[in-house]
Amino acid sequence: MGLGYLINIQPAIAIVAGVILGIMVGAMPGLSPSMGVALLVPFTYNLQPHVALILLISIYIASEYGGSITAVTINTPGTPSAVVTAFDGYPLTKQGKAGTGLGVSLVASTIGGIIGTIILIFFSVPLARLAVRMHPAEYFALAIFGLTTVASLGGKNWIKAFLAAMLGLLINTIGIDPISGVKRFTFGTYKLFDGFPLIPALIGLFALSEVFTRIEEYKLEKGKETKFDKKHWPSFMDYWKLKFAIIRSSILGTLIGIFPGAGATIASFLSYDLAKKVSKTPESFGTGNPEGVAAAEAANSSSVGGALVPLLALGIPGSASTAVLVGALMIHDLVPGPLLFVERPDIVYSLFAALMVANFVMLILGLFGARLWIKVTVIPKKVLLPAILAISIIGSFAVNYSFFDVAACLGFGIAGWVLKKYGFPVAPIVLGMVLGKLAEQNFRRAVIMGGYKIFFTRPASVILLLLALLSLGVPLYQTYKAGKKEKAGV
Amino acid sequence: MKLIEYFGTDSGLLIFIAVLVVVFAAITFLIIKSSKKAYAGRIIIPVLFIELALAFGIVTLNFPNKGDEVGPGVVPGLWLIAILIFSTLLLIKGTLGNEEKDPPWGHMKKVAAFIVMTILYIIIMQYIGYYISTVIYLILGMYYLSYRNWIVMISIAAGWVVFSYFAFYRLLYVPLPKGMLLERIFG
Repeated sequence: MGLGYLINIQPAIAIVAGVILGIMVGAMPGLSPSMGVALLVPFTYNLQPHVALILLISIYIASEYGGSITAVTINTPGTPSAVVTAFDGYPLTKQGKAGTGLGVSLVASTIGGIIGTIILIFFSVPLARLAVRMHPAEYFALAIFGLTTVASLGGKNWIKAFLAAMLGLLINTIGIDPISGVKRFTFGTYKLFDGFPLIPALIGLFALSEVFTRIEEYKLEKGKETKFDKKHWPSFMDYWKLKFAIIRSSILGTLIGIFPGAGATIASFLSYDLAKKVSKTPESFGTGNPEGVAAAEAANSSSVGGALVPLLALGIPGSASTAVLVGALMIHDLVPGPLLFVERPDIVYSLFAALMVANFVMLILGLFGARLWIKVTVIPKKVLLPAILAISIIGSFAVNYSFFDVAACLGFGIAGWVLKKYGFPVAPIVLGMVLGKLAEQNFRRAVIMGGYKIFFTRPASVILLLLALLSLGVPLYQTYKAGKKEKAGV
Repeated sequence: MKLIEYFGTDSGLLIFIAVLVVVFAAITFLIIKSSKKAYAGRIIIPVLFIELALAFGIVTLNFPNKGDEVGPGVVPGLWLIAILIFSTLLLIKGTLGNEEKDPPWGHMKKVAAFIVMTILYIIIMQYIGYYISTVIYLILGMYYLSYRNWIVMISIAAGWVVFSYFAFYRLLYVPLPKGMLLERIFG
């Protein structure tokens, strides 16, 4: 069904353009997938909704692969998840086998992406059917659970991550309350009646704050250009040997991706670990074992499909990039969640089809363009940073043609930079902003339907709230234990 | 209750915010002068969040409630309580020195310069229009980061402006600011 939508010229162009842009974004150190998608959301404003989504989703997938190119060739991971790819990818390059590293990472990414998409299709459709019947109390509990897991995965900064999520939720309450019509925190400014603009906030938090951080570090040397030959490009038999590693990591990566807060980076770390554990030659990991590259890349690419499961089926984004996709959906007046499957199945199925096709396009462009993609690393940061600033400014203007939005974008950029400096992650702010409406509306609906006790009388909501509490309790316990150990002088 | 109601009025809120600002300034001053100087940021940021939550809290308490079971203030109230709790936790951690010391400051002047430059760019754009201001902004930005290849600088700036004309103005119909001054001069 979805494939039919792709046999038009616009979606086809969107996929190819998205994959090319995505690989470039991924390959440029300093441009993360979420930043790339955030910067490009405004460009999709006047496109048809499904073309816009296809473009953004292609960027998202391809950027996860793009990060591995520089990880393998110059040991500079373009994305956080490609750090793991570099463990074995760069040693391969040092042995003169960059071709092996690149080939394996490309094929593993493609297969990972496809397996992730298949699992996405099988999981999200029944999950959405189930979610349509969910009670508002359960929905609220689910949103809270999503947010707390994100915070608990903030590691030692979990308090800050949780605080960041709460700030996002609070920002979301600014504007006219849709239920009572009361103006909340608008401070007499009519520009705030509709609430804080989401897209400028996204661009500010993901793009501007990163630029300011880079300027502050001021490490702006040029990347080294590496030459490599295609001599060691793997043969079919080489790939065949990796089949179990790739399939295992893809399934693991997708499952981790589904879990809110655990994205591509955790997926690649865990599946690399697993590959090492089950390997007959664990000592060869880290010295240029293609299996390590395959495990990392299959996992991070397949996590994209996984991350889309809660986003599409429940309307709950679990990662920075999927939160940005919510923003993209919103500017087209589409609300992700189970109703999207009922009201706009065309969008959902064209997205599934686009994911499949984009993976193949990535394989083709990756095979023929490898030499070209390496060139993006020589773009000097001194040119790149001002350019990102200029794109951010015009991008935040383009959504509502408003200078208030531009100022908001700059404000979020400065706030994001300061907060990041002090260890506050910015992604939970965006998740809070995106999930706020869902949480609040369902909370109030539930209370109107059955009073405050309703959250504790419906089993599913009790379980979800307990899980949320648990996901906050675990890091608390770990901090306590670590503190005790420190005191004991261990 | 009367006091909360008073702070809910326009002038009352201003006074409340003024008090918060004074308290904030005093705390900042004290910390910088004390032995906790190395943790200043770790302490000041939670204080800022607590004050923010208090200011928003006063506004929330004054939301009109038309007898609904869950008024407009309930959910913001929930988030504010969570912010207060977690900021207090952070504040305690920061004051006890359980946090790492503040990260060292990098090239702050450069960041400040870029922020000022961006603000000026946004203001000036409204007068001289998007195209001219963007060319100047990009070239100045690259120059300030000590890039000196003029051919690249000019071609990137001009290329971006041409690209944004076609992509935004022609394709996406974004009314890029033409500039009040230029419009007045050239009609």
